[in-house]
Amino acid sequence: MTLETPDFQAYRGQEPPRFANRAELECAKVLDYYGVPWEYEPTTFVLEEDEAGRVVEAFKPDFYLPEQDLYVEVTVMKQSLVTRKNRKLRKLRERYPDVRVKLFYKRDIERLAERYRLELAS
Amino acid sequence: MYLTQAELRTRVAELGREISRDYEGREPLLVAPLKASLVFLADLSRELDIPHGIDFVELASYASGADTGGHARIRLLKDLDEEIAGRHVLVVEDVIDTGLTLNYLCKTLSLRDPASLAAVTLLDRPYRRLVEDLPVRYVGFTVPDELFVGYGFDLEERYRNLPDLHVLTT
Repeated sequence: MTLETPDFQAYRGQEPPRFANRAELECAKVLDYYGVPWEYEPTTFVLEEDEAGRVVEAFKPDFYLPEQDLYVEVTVMKQSLVTRKNRKLRKLRERYPDVRVKLFYKRDIERLAERYRLELAS
Repeated sequence: MYLTQAELRTRVAELGREISRDYEGREPLLVAPLKASLVFLADLSRELDIPHGIDFVELASYASGADTGGHARIRLLKDLDEEIAGRHVLVVEDVIDTGLTLNYLCKTLSLRDPASLAAVTLLDRPYRRLVEDLPVRYVGFTVPDELFVGYGFDLEERYRNLPDLHVLTT
């Protein structure tokens, strides 16, 4: 299924964002509505390299809010399945202690959905 | 029940004393976004022993504009009646969550050159904060990640009149 791409006004990226799922799209719409500048997946953080210097693990947070200097990762996985994501986040914080990143879990998205009446079903 | 009427009254009185002390010699304008902050505003105002004004704004909620597919932007449905240039403005919020709404309101009010701009919130739910640099000077209660009804908070416009604060169970 192809997700819609609204005409965003607070988007600061170059290419039109291609969201992985409905939750990411809805988060983007909320940020846009409140006029908070945002970028979509602008940075890939290297987490681990092999002995030859090749990247073997990386992490690309979904959103970057330049005015807040904050990365936001949105996951719709069940809480029991986010262990890998949590581990990546921990590695990112260890390797890039100055980078501010927040992880929005499924329950966070559901709370936002209740608050903002987001369309997460499809 | 999460907070009783008595607990709310005690904390609001403490906030009132604190704000009265901090704003002594000035005459702040309390600005409340409608509607949930209405009860808190009414109680807080009566706990202030300094002269102060009251005004209201109403912001279009995201939910009300959700059908516009991201084209809509937050806007004031009701603007202030008062001019705020040179005045000390204290925004009276019901709850701060992501901080997106207060961020917009503070940015908007800042453009009007108030002498100072600060905020008091009855409830703070900081777990999903996206905007950190907010001028929140006073917090009534830091609350768990729950939804509430009563003391101004509603469920489809009901229960705002309940004197206590209740956790909404779904």
